Amino acid sequence: MATNKPSPGRSTSTTPGTDAVIIGGNRIPFARAGGKYATASNQDMFTAALEGLVARYGLQGERLGEVVGGAVLKHSRDFNLVRESVLGSSLSPQTPAYDLQQACATGLEAVVTVSNKIRLGQIESGVAGGSDTVSDAPIAVGEGLRRALLAASHAKSLGGRLKAFASIRPGDLAPLTPRTDEPRTGLSMGEHQAITTATWGISREAQDEIALASHHHLAAAWAGGFFDDLVTPFRGLTQDQNMRADSSAEKLATLPPVFGKRLAASAGGAEPTMTAGNSTPLTDGASVVLLGSRAWAEAKDLPVLARVVDAETAAVDYVHGHEGLLMAPAHAVPRLLARQGLELGDFDFYEIHEAFASTVLTTLAAWEDDEYCRTELGLDGALGAIDRSRLNVNGSSLAAGHPFAATGGRIVATAAKLVAQRAAETGRPARALVSVCAAGGLGVAAVIESA
Amino acid sequence: MTRVETLPALPALGGLYARGLASSGRIAVRRTVSSGAGDLVLPDVTYRVAGVDTSVPDVAAHLERYRRVVGEPAGGTTSAGNPAGVPAGFLHVLAFPLATAVMVRGDFPLPLLGLVHVENSAAVLRPVRLGDQLEVRAHATNLRPHRRGAQVDLVTEVTVPGEGLAYRGVSTYLAKGVDLPDTSSAPGTEPDARGEWVPPLPTARWSLPAGTGRAYAAVSGDRNPIHTSALGAKAFGFPRTIAHGMYTAARALAEVGTGRGETYDWTVSFAKPVLLPSTVDVAIRPSGPGGGFTYQAWSGRSGTLHLTGAVTPRS
Amino acid sequence: MADRYLTAVNSGVTKTVAKKLGLPRPAHLRRYRAGDPLVPGPVLVLGGKPGVPDAADDVAHALLGWDLDVRQNADADTRWGAIVVVLTEITSPADLSGPVMDLGGALRRLLPGGRVVTVSRAAGDDDSPTLAAAREGVDGFLRSVAKELRAGATGNGVQLTDGAAPDSPSALAALRFFLSGRSAFVDGQLLEVGPAEAPAATDDSPLAGRVAVVTGGARGIGASIARTLARDGATVVVVDVPAAGEALAKVANEIRGTALQLDVTAPDAGARILEHARSRHGGLHVLVHNAGILRDKLLANMSPDKWDAVIAVNLLAQLRINDYLLGANGLSDAPRIVSLASTSGIAGNRGQTNYGYSKAGVIGHTRATARLLREVGGTANAVAPGFIETDMTASIPFAAREVARRASSLQQGGQPVDVAEAIAFLASPAAAGVSGQVLRVCGQNLVGR
Repeated sequence: MATNKPSPGRSTSTTPGTDAVIIGGNRIPFARAGGKYATASNQDMFTAALEGLVARYGLQGERLGEVVGGAVLKHSRDFNLVRESVLGSSLSPQTPAYDLQQACATGLEAVVTVSNKIRLGQIESGVAGGSDTVSDAPIAVGEGLRRALLAASHAKSLGGRLKAFASIRPGDLAPLTPRTDEPRTGLSMGEHQAITTATWGISREAQDEIALASHHHLAAAWAGGFFDDLVTPFRGLTQDQNMRADSSAEKLATLPPVFGKRLAASAGGAEPTMTAGNSTPLTDGASVVLLGSRAWAEAKDLPVLARVVDAETAAVDYVHGHEGLLMAPAHAVPRLLARQGLELGDFDFYEIHEAFASTVLTTLAAWEDDEYCRTELGLDGALGAIDRSRLNVNGSSLAAGHPFAATGGRIVATAAKLVAQRAAETGRPARALVSVCAAGGLGVAAVIESA
Repeated sequence: MTRVETLPALPALGGLYARGLASSGRIAVRRTVSSGAGDLVLPDVTYRVAGVDTSVPDVAAHLERYRRVVGEPAGGTTSAGNPAGVPAGFLHVLAFPLATAVMVRGDFPLPLLGLVHVENSAAVLRPVRLGDQLEVRAHATNLRPHRRGAQVDLVTEVTVPGEGLAYRGVSTYLAKGVDLPDTSSAPGTEPDARGEWVPPLPTARWSLPAGTGRAYAAVSGDRNPIHTSALGAKAFGFPRTIAHGMYTAARALAEVGTGRGETYDWTVSFAKPVLLPSTVDVAIRPSGPGGGFTYQAWSGRSGTLHLTGAVTPRS
Repeated sequence: MADRYLTAVNSGVTKTVAKKLGLPRPAHLRRYRAGDPLVPGPVLVLGGKPGVPDAADDVAHALLGWDLDVRQNADADTRWGAIVVVLTEITSPADLSGPVMDLGGALRRLLPGGRVVTVSRAAGDDDSPTLAAAREGVDGFLRSVAKELRAGATGNGVQLTDGAAPDSPSALAALRFFLSGRSAFVDGQLLEVGPAEAPAATDDSPLAGRVAVVTGGARGIGASIARTLARDGATVVVVDVPAAGEALAKVANEIRGTALQLDVTAPDAGARILEHARSRHGGLHVLVHNAGILRDKLLANMSPDKWDAVIAVNLLAQLRINDYLLGANGLSDAPRIVSLASTSGIAGNRGQTNYGYSKAGVIGHTRATARLLREVGGTANAVAPGFIETDMTASIPFAAREVARRASSLQQGGQPVDVAEAIAFLASPAAAGVSGQVLRVCGQNLVGR
């Protein structure tokens, strides 16, 4: 717990070696589940995101150091999802790749891992990203049927196989669709967050306010052309399908709660506040980020938006209710700040993934809570409050949608462009704090600075 | 002095049920005849089976199926390098036929099929490992009046010869409507305060499919029709099959996880049964600084309490 | 786009039927393919006087340098791949008769896909009436000859201005373009070529080392331009609106260029184009203004937004981008600007007042821009496509489409690549002497000049 001594000087790269810089990013517009990408596979979408990136930066035939990414909901046939996407792309087929998965933090963790290799000098360039589809999600056979089929395939005789098949019951034939429930608790992420929301006493109005800002910020960014060099359309979709530029507090207030409906009767519970409007919808999409050493970017005449300064991954004990499932970023950030000698206020932008509006709010509330920061985070007191006008300034997952593994790439590319723009405007370095919470009580935070 | 009767092996449950059905009918007849009589006595006998060999593949396979049904993680090894002890719930299952054998004796005064499992308390005093040769004992004790009938404790014990008592389980059953002499003063051990009970914030949710009863019946041997067949459940006044209480308790034990340690006490008391299929909200929380966990499970829809219990490490 | 009629009248029973009925029989055009000979047979050079070294000899000599079988005397047996008529030295209309009769005698033996190219001087303001008549007359002659040609053969003219030599690099580049398959759908056109220093024309990566930007590059003619420029060795930046990004990325990746998602009407479009080209590719040499939209309505029904949108994209965006690039010295090293005009801008088209205005406007600013670019050694030209087989023309109703297709000397629509080839030629370093021109790629459409 936050035992790392702050390094001397502020925000210095912690490793020797070279900087890992963010050159740019690309994603496809995010589609609502069952929408425009209903028949697109993770590989289709990851390849499309990659192809847009290759086209933007002229990487055709280029042998990159590595392409790293993954998907949360993944078919067994997609065991080499990213490598297969590379082979289907215009990159050199000699570009290595591997799959990585850390639930919703997949994309950000991929950025961290690629930048670490760059900083170590093991690779000069790399792409990090992620893809997820709930529309083309794998359907598994039930456990009974699966065991019977496995037993049959292992059986040495016809009799053995018949015996295995005979064990199949009609109920075994029902397919299993993937669930987003936490395997260890059986509670959906929304139910978990509803408990955290109740614990922290976050109001419906505050959540709707976050959701509304997300839609308005994202719509303004689209209208202002911010995404012109961050997004490549796919399958006829040219903007994020979930975005509602005309959303209003009144409209959001009419939505019925969907999570935590049973909690009102609980001791310590509260009236339900989480609606479809202040929770992320199920979404399809993919995103990638191009990273490289400064020297590589220079040699290739590529722009440099920002550098990945440092990152920290945390995990919390949520299984028996000690901590909220999505509270890990609250833990990761102070550790990261301590290592970098930074304070919470030292940022021009805060990109906090909006798994739910209340995720953002409980995280912020936690940092402002003296008692919590001392007992749970091992700090001397409250970490502090942030300037809300710097929070998710171009919208986040509530408006854009949240195709799990694709969110990290979306946020990192957005943050990199934001700090680059700010630095260009002011002539001073700009800095962003990025955090993504994930299933399993995981959370990743990163510091990104204009290059 | 209690008489110890040694059986050659743990009995098969199928045959016991047949006998149980028969004796239940006989007891019912007898009870009708001697209604109001206060002459119910427990048989003063302890059943004993020695040399229960857990090294045979059948037991390993049985344990594997049990683990899968209740969600116990694979055993592995302990920090000391020993194979992990088998879960208490499995020892309960292992000894269950012997306890049942006591309950189907002709001189057992209560009808097997009408018995309601209301409480269970088990202690793992030393780890029992797959491969140990075990001695298993069972007897009935403490027949006592209850507001709604009579209660009896079935005690099962597992001993590792040369090491001592490893497990002791006490299962409390209620025979509804059976009169003991002083029922007027009988305590109500059922949590009667369910109206006042307020569920805590859940930490988990169980989605129990309709086949839950059949799945646990297959690994526990407890094929009581109220758990396995809709018709059977209706015959006993339930609209649908109900989950085995011990299944829910065993699942809670499993979900406490490694925090329970190698030796622990595990208690449960059952309130309203869980009708299947069902979604059950669960809270499993550390009970204090001393270690140990308490758990509650209830219907998220109605707030009706299903069970409460605790798992407390002994070391 | 499949032209089924063209296929039918060139094959099988339908070919015979069409012949008997005297139906128009459009031919398969000879288009450029790497490795194909420049012309399908020997080249006859007419217009010279035997025994006297003259311009015809210079041209013939240059053609020999391209490894062609060049003759200056017609015989009765040879079937010609091309006939070049050098008329630069005529001083009176009376001088035409000889070479013209020679041409007439040889025309019957012009191979399918053959070429007739006149090389003459444009009439100038200082010419005597006789000289002016002699020179201007070539215009009407050539356009009439072109209409007599069959089987995919075309007739075009190189018009030298300002004393440019017939064998100067740009004159030869224009001649080579007209002879080659690159000019398959260019017919009945006279292209002015002035004196300019330029490298010799070549088929071997003429655009190597050049950075080209093509707006509207995601599909149709724009994508074809991008492919053709890349084939000729250019590094291509394809630009299109963000909404067309998916197709744009495909084109960029196919040609190993880069994609720039940008609305050309954005105020900073020029700056962003220049920034991209410079920072990523080291400069900007060729700019192709291809982005364009249609919002057809009869003027009586025209709404302001339909008018304004067409003018904004087709004309104002080009002006604003050019202004920026010229102001910022953004174009370097013999730059080339090629803009897409249209035959609608020359001849007008019902329902296209907005489009016609914008495209005529393009022709206007091209001449003006050419003057500005001359100072930095660059050129500006426009290409005016006629009926080109694209997704856009495929949406024209069948009957109207058929009429439009057959209403040219070549009796068919052109392909996007035909437009692209003309642009690639104008963008090439060898075309330095061609500036302020409008090159029609229309198969000598009946409308307009």
